[in-house]
Amino acid sequence: MPTPSAANLPSDHILDRLSSSDSEIKLKAVREVKNQIIGNRTKKLSYIKLGAVPAVAAVLADSDSTPNLIVQSVAALGSFACGVDAGVSAVLDAGAFPHLIRLLSSSDKKVVDSAARSLRMIYQSKVAPKYDFFKQEDMQFLLSLLDSENENLTLLGVGIVIHSCETSAEQNILCYAGALEKLTSLLGGSLSQRDGSLDSLPAIIKNNPEAVCKFGGLHCGRVLSSVIQLTKDRYPRTRLLACLLLICVMNSSSSHLQATGFKKKLIHVLLELLDDSGPVGDEASFAFSSLIAKKKDLQKLAFDANAIDKFHSLLQKRPLQPKRLEGMFLALADLCSKLECCRSSFLSLQVLNIVVEALTHDDASVRTAACICLISVSRSVKNLSAGCFMNERIVFPLVRLLSDLSTSVQVAALAAISNIVVDFLPHKSTFMHCGGIKELVRLSKAMDSSLRLNAVRALRNMLFLTDKMCKEVLFVELTASSMASLICDPEPSVQEQALALVRNFVDGCVYSVEYAFAEDGVILNAVGRELRKYSKVEIGIQGLYVLSNIASGNEFHKEAVMQLLFPQAESGSQSFFNQFLQSNDNQLRAAAIWVITNLTFPGSPGAFGRIVNLRSLGIVSQIKKMFNDPCMDVKLRARIAIEQINTFGDG
Amino acid sequence: MPVRVLENAAPSQVSGANSGQSSFQYCSLLGVGQAFSGTQNVSSQQKDEAWRVNVCIQGCDLEHGYLCGTMEALNVPMADTPVVTFWEGEIVDTKNYTFFTGKWEATPEDDIRHWTKFPSFSPLLAQVEVDGGKTLDLSNYPYIFMRWKEQYFVNVGTDCGLTIAGFYYVCFSCSDGSISGFYYDPNSSPFQKLELKSTNNDRSGFSFSSYELQ
Repeated sequence: MPTPSAANLPSDHILDRLSSSDSEIKLKAVREVKNQIIGNRTKKLSYIKLGAVPAVAAVLADSDSTPNLIVQSVAALGSFACGVDAGVSAVLDAGAFPHLIRLLSSSDKKVVDSAARSLRMIYQSKVAPKYDFFKQEDMQFLLSLLDSENENLTLLGVGIVIHSCETSAEQNILCYAGALEKLTSLLGGSLSQRDGSLDSLPAIIKNNPEAVCKFGGLHCGRVLSSVIQLTKDRYPRTRLLACLLLICVMNSSSSHLQATGFKKKLIHVLLELLDDSGPVGDEASFAFSSLIAKKKDLQKLAFDANAIDKFHSLLQKRPLQPKRLEGMFLALADLCSKLECCRSSFLSLQVLNIVVEALTHDDASVRTAACICLISVSRSVKNLSAGCFMNERIVFPLVRLLSDLSTSVQVAALAAISNIVVDFLPHKSTFMHCGGIKELVRLSKAMDSSLRLNAVRALRNMLFLTDKMCKEVLFVELTASSMASLICDPEPSVQEQALALVRNFVDGCVYSVEYAFAEDGVILNAVGRELRKYSKVEIGIQGLYVLSNIASGNEFHKEAVMQLLFPQAESGSQSFFNQFLQSNDNQLRAAAIWVITNLTFPGSPGAFGRIVNLRSLGIVSQIKKMFNDPCMDVKLRARIAIEQINTFGDG
Repeated sequence: MPVRVLENAAPSQVSGANSGQSSFQYCSLLGVGQAFSGTQNVSSQQKDEAWRVNVCIQGCDLEHGYLCGTMEALNVPMADTPVVTFWEGEIVDTKNYTFFTGKWEATPEDDIRHWTKFPSFSPLLAQVEVDGGKTLDLSNYPYIFMRWKEQYFVNVGTDCGLTIAGFYYVCFSCSDGSISGFYYDPNSSPFQKLELKSTNNDRSGFSFSSYELQ
């Protein structure tokens, strides 16, 4: 909590005056506090630290308090709670919450109004206590709030639903109790009630097709139609809330609002709302994202509606608030997540420059969003191959973000780097010059598993088709023992990436295979151990391709793989390798046959001896059984392997 | 691979990919990182000529019938260095793409004339003549038919005196990874044959690398 400066120090003896037995002094003190803290976060924190909240809350418990004093105290408490979680906690800790609930039943309308407003402030915070919809009397109370003639009470009811309806069971019980009908009836009320209704309905129907169905069928679909009409309302906030509710309906049910014409209209409304200079414009980007995320058809419609041009022109306006920048970058990331036409437009409009500039923004959310945008746009082999991203202007700031104080920024930067390093060029000089390898190696040893995973993936991608020098630099930096540790990482996803990294290390020219034998074969042994454990298909596939690549090396390499898979001590027993040949996974079976194909490759001096062993272990007969494998690749690999083996004699 | 520019060469027309769902079978020899080398016969009436060619697969998305990579022409007479182009491929999976090209100045007759150059196409001919092959199930066929269209020059400018206006009809053998192709450009010599074999550096076997985009 910040220390108050001298200018912000609350007035002298305020606590004494708040506790005065003279009601006039007390009233004046409460008013003074209330007036000072309105809209002033620093003042709120100062008074909270001073202990003013319990003193103000005590008024509510005092039966001698006048209605005017109560109204002022309740308003002050609401103000403490407004937008400041520490304020909400202080009000709750002071025991004011049950008193505020009690005051809702007061005969004095001003007291009721002020209590309802303060409770709404409290329910806007995550710190507020969760409302129990399963308690019959609480549900009845909520419904009575929604039914009330008093707008402040109905809006409190709306706030409770938004705050506390989270699970599908809560959604269902609210639907069953008739909350949907009561909330939708507010659509015909005041502007605040209408907006409150639009704002609360997603909480009840989100990801709940049954609830969506019930909502869609209310008054034979007329309610849904009226919400659609509200996307044309004259108030931007109402239009935005109507869009958000309709997006929620679309995303929660595949049988509602799926017409292309409707989708186009929604995109159009949201793109127009982006022009709003206030919070509505900020939120419109996020709404746009939720509409198009993971949906190629909507992304194409948005592209056709010139969405990228629109974001580009809005990004030209400076200065932009962090929230707006973040929203627009995330929306662009969703737009460019699947379609090449969007990425091309993004690049040709040079939106990339603005995104790269934002990598050094003061706000961590903006930096993260800029990285996420880069991830999407660099998910294009065509642009990666054209060298659109591997340059100092982009790579240097990205590498600097690997030391960011925010883990989210680090993770997003790693993901962007792991795409960008796939540039299909053998040397990665730009990346090496800025110390990128050192940073990736450092993060591959991070405690946080998401950092480790992304760092290892980036290293794996960097090694794809890379040259000897790059491999050498990385190997010295990473070391064989660290690679072996990563292969045995507690996280299976890290193991898989680590094995894929080794697979790329031993790919390419035949000298690369030697990496697997460094430090007394610590890497090879780790691969063998993980294959014997065989916990996950993906780990098996990567592990087998490591061995397959090693087995495509020289005689020494082939024998080492042979020993690892079929040690002498195990001869005659059922080999663990058989489980891979008999797996249900096509790629795993194919990888297993590639190992055998390479071990028996024609022209290798020791091939005959290995074939004899493989026959005695039943591996050859197992592969023969795969001649009619349902997977074409496996079937062909099996036939080629046996053809190859038969060149040494078929029995 | 680029070919020489002829006068009045028409620009290629590129349209977007059709959408569709397909579960075309994976072939490990056609995966990312796989390399191929061979020749393209560019003989004309004046002289016999063949350029050495290397191909590397850089991207593969079977669900969308998409493949891409680079093609390097090594002994192009008018170029100081090997000329590298980036190409994108349409896999004829009969869901995303059929045997009929429908663009790039290729008529169904041009298509049939080129596809029939591949012996492995003959069992499919009758059906392709009816509907372009859209009712065929090729998921278990040991050959993969594709069209490769060069999109841009990677290491030389567009003023290099070469053109990438045409495209290739390609047939890939899943058994041994060999590739046959025919270049089609109405303004270039017809039926320039591309022949490639899977390469394995100096190894005694096959090696496979991989990457994963986020």
